[in-house]
Amino acid sequence: MNSILKNIIRLIIFVLAQGLIFGQLSFGYGIHPMIYPLFILMLPFDTRPVVLMILAFIAGIGIDFFMNTFGLHASASVLIAYLRPAIFRQFAPRDGYDVLKEPIAREWGYPWFIKVSLLTIIVHHLWFFSLEYFKWSSWNDILLNTLSSSLITLIIFILIQVLFFKKSKTI
Amino acid sequence: MLKFIAFFRRFRVFLVFLFFQVVALSSYFSVMSFPRTKFFNSSSAIVATLLSWERDVVKYLYLDEANRKLQAENALLEKRIQDNFISIDSSTAKINDTLNKLSFEHIPATVINSSHDYANNYFTIDAGSEKGIQKKMGVVSSDGIVGIVYDVSKSFAIVKSILTKDINISASIDDSYAHGLIKFDAKDPRNVMLTGFSNDIEVEIGSKVMARGSGGYFPQGEPIGLVKKVEPVEGKPMWDITVELHQDMRKLRYVYVIKNIHQLELNNLEKDIEQLQ
Repeated sequence: MNSILKNIIRLIIFVLAQGLIFGQLSFGYGIHPMIYPLFILMLPFDTRPVVLMILAFIAGIGIDFFMNTFGLHASASVLIAYLRPAIFRQFAPRDGYDVLKEPIAREWGYPWFIKVSLLTIIVHHLWFFSLEYFKWSSWNDILLNTLSSSLITLIIFILIQVLFFKKSKTI
Repeated sequence: MLKFIAFFRRFRVFLVFLFFQVVALSSYFSVMSFPRTKFFNSSSAIVATLLSWERDVVKYLYLDEANRKLQAENALLEKRIQDNFISIDSSTAKINDTLNKLSFEHIPATVINSSHDYANNYFTIDAGSEKGIQKKMGVVSSDGIVGIVYDVSKSFAIVKSILTKDINISASIDDSYAHGLIKFDAKDPRNVMLTGFSNDIEVEIGSKVMARGSGGYFPQGEPIGLVKKVEPVEGKPMWDITVELHQDMRKLRYVYVIKNIHQLELNNLEKDIEQLQ
């Protein structure tokens, strides 16, 4: 399938899934699962940084519409889109990345995927909750929310990888 | 000029990043401090339509509880109907008195999207300016106060829930008539804080907290909750009062928007207070 078309469909699916399903769940204990960072992580390796940020901004605004957060999700997702190249460079395999392959767990292994997504998720959640509370005195709430949400988000990321990005049976 | 272009090309990525952050954060903080934008919210037509589809799918799960509540409400209202009373004294006559004038109208609405575990919570209802809803109207459920209308589109409206940091609803305690402001401390969606109570006023645990009716958003005496815990504030002669809400905000489905017919009159009169001072 055409890569651009595929990623546009993915964008729509992730925004709808976040807005209609994951945004409506409530677990308590400060757990707010956010799945759309996975969309930004899975864009092709050779996406230009500016394009990456534009797509992240569109996804973020789409979710802001659903969650009444008025730009908070957009800000957090642009931040991780900006940091994505640096994070990928940090965990690059010895021979560098093969730009033809997608950045998903099946191609690069689960240890790589977990490392990359955990760092991204923590940065994203820390930024999001710090801005939401925006007070030094509620640092413990920010930390609790960040840690518990990060854990659940990471588990959902891995589940999505296991369920929807399996090895294709034809080969 | 060339140097300027070279500078721009070198830091292009960072500048784009900065631009997006400024757009997103200025929108966020301007909304948080005062309502201005009409852009980023779920009363915009497409999103609200999607959310009401979702609501159509899940509403059957809540019918049971909704019915039970309506039944209880009906039973209460039945007691007030004239036809259900029989005259026991033959010398009394029914007099249509004009002493009481209707002041508050209730417009029914359904919640189609809501949150309750963030620091600032909003919910969307499926009634808008077409049904006569305007900004700053009070919203109640059958159990008590739930919020204040924040933004309105043609057929939807966003309500600032009582679980918002700067909700500031004026409330009084039943037996002492002392009043304070309701705030939310973002800890437990079942509780809100009642602030501004001087510690020489006695507050009993379990006493009723209700709307004071100032500002004309809610009728006076509209229930909010019960006093759950009273603690002294460190370093200030104040009580820190925890109020348990009557309405469990996690289960909010059916609400009424309160239209105060005398709102304009009240606003015009109170406008002059500042000039007097």
